[in-house]
Amino acid sequence: MTDVLIVGAGPAGLSAALACREQGLSVRVVDEFYRPGGRLLGQLHEEPDGQWWNGLEEAAKLHDKALQAGVDIRCGVSVYNVAKADGNWQAFTTEGVCEVPALLLATGASETAVPVPGWTLPGVMSIGAAQVMTNVQRVRPGERGVVIGINVLSVAIARELQLAGIHVDRMVLPALSPVTSSAGHPEKVMESMLRVAHLAPSPLIRLGSRLVQSLGLQKRGIRFYPSGGIRMWGIPFQLRTAALEIVGTGQVEGVRIARISPEGVPVPGSEKIIPADFVCIAGGLSPLAELAAVAGCAFAYLPSLGGHVPLHNERMQTSLPGLYVAGNITGIESAKVAIAQGTVAGLSIAADLGKLREPEPLRHAMERVCLVRQQAAIQFHPDIALGRERLHQMYEQAQAM
Amino acid sequence: MTSPDMVICRCEEVGLGKLLQTAAAHGCSARELKLRTRAGMGTCGGRSCRSLILAMLEESASQAPGHDMPLGCQPPVRPVSFSMLGGTE
Ligand SMILES: Cc1cc2nc3c(=O)[nH]c(=O)nc-3n(C[C@H](O)[C@H](O)[C@H](O)COP(=O)(O)OP(=O)(O)OC[C@H]3O[C@@H](n4cnc5c(N)ncnc54)[C@H](O)[C@@H]3O)c2cc1C
Ligand code: FES
Repeated sequence: MTDVLIVGAGPAGLSAALACREQGLSVRVVDEFYRPGGRLLGQLHEEPDGQWWNGLEEAAKLHDKALQAGVDIRCGVSVYNVAKADGNWQAFTTEGVCEVPALLLATGASETAVPVPGWTLPGVMSIGAAQVMTNVQRVRPGERGVVIGINVLSVAIARELQLAGIHVDRMVLPALSPVTSSAGHPEKVMESMLRVAHLAPSPLIRLGSRLVQSLGLQKRGIRFYPSGGIRMWGIPFQLRTAALEIVGTGQVEGVRIARISPEGVPVPGSEKIIPADFVCIAGGLSPLAELAAVAGCAFAYLPSLGGHVPLHNERMQTSLPGLYVAGNITGIESAKVAIAQGTVAGLSIAADLGKLREPEPLRHAMERVCLVRQQAAIQFHPDIALGRERLHQMYEQAQAM
Repeated sequence: MTSPDMVICRCEEVGLGKLLQTAAAHGCSARELKLRTRAGMGTCGGRSCRSLILAMLEESASQAPGHDMPLGCQPPVRPVSFSMLGGTE
């Protein structure tokens, strides 16, 4: 019999599986992608100490360890429903029903789209899709790309595309619309980039400090932002330019852009069409928590964590006994945090099933999450720690009721 | 500047104009908007458009999302065949 089922073979799921196995539990991991690693696959960035973080290698290491430890990993299997039955959890998978005392949801995050007129044309893809094509499948997304949406994720991936020899012509904002809200507002984009840049040592700090140096104070800065943009690794970051439409017949042929005011309003007469054969849209990430919703978990809406997250405590227990969460489903953070959270979830499950041999490792693992969070090279939101605190308070309040 | 034809829900092909009009005409909650327009009821289960619909309501009708998971999530959360749900071939 399987003690624990883990949905998601990303960094959180794999590290949780290892922690469970080390306490003697029998563990199965399912993932709908054809290979394990989750969003680790494709990550490539420089750490503050100058070392490179290669997600493919990290994924392979975790996968090997999990296999050696005897974790049963099944790829190409989706979970489409979960339900409680006689004190156990039932997961409905495309390989049949799996019933377990403990269920861990480590389903990660999904990307938010940026609708721009023409975004349904072939050749338009999310920035994450471009990352997977380039770094995992090793397929060139195109010859000349435009990135629409400037945020931590799109900056990191634009750099990866460039390292792979793919030409990123420029990065621009989406046109202001009722669906793009602050992503189309230069002042707000600048503000959020600068706030994150101050926290993340690399590579954003360099972008951030260059923005600060060349622009002085931010309000004034965005007014005098050069129309050609500021170059970072040779890619123009055009915070005062918006994509009004993606044009082409049958596939992407170009992008109609315009200069915009600091509030995002197009400057009349500044429109032009620039050629491109692929476009990446980047609206950021939000926790993929559909299974937790179906299970009936209580939720909290915390923008600093990326949106709606299942209520949980520092031991990764949700409001429902036997149901746990770890990784980006709990809030958008870097892969190292996901790994640390996975360890906590695994040990926490072992404790609840009466298999944790000693309490020390769980306490250490919880402390480690905070430490890793503080040192993270990529921070997706400046108020993550505050968001976490708020979440745990809400959990305690809900439990007390 | 906003294009009414711009698709928001790709699965059900619902445009921005239709969503804005419906929201204005009926003062809709996210859930009511979904039931009236089918936006969010397609094969992806709203994974692609849910956050866009919420952003739109927040921007156009000042409805900030609450703590409850909006627009519900119904099983199956992935497209599956009837036989998988227990039917016979
Ligand atoms: C496009 C993209 C790029 C990113 N780039 C970076 C980066 O450069 N650096 C960084 O630190 N972080 C990055 N992140 C953040 C990233 O989410 C974390 O680094 C980390 O991968 C989160 O780990 P996780 O285990 O929580 O989830 P993931 O790594 O996302 O793994 C979740 C897994 O669950 C599976 N899954 C989901 N739902 C189901 C289901 N119903 N049934 C079966 N399987 C399911 C998925 O297939 C996936 O493999 C990126 C995220 C995305 C989406
Ligand atoms: S895009 Fe709306 S349901 Fe899929």
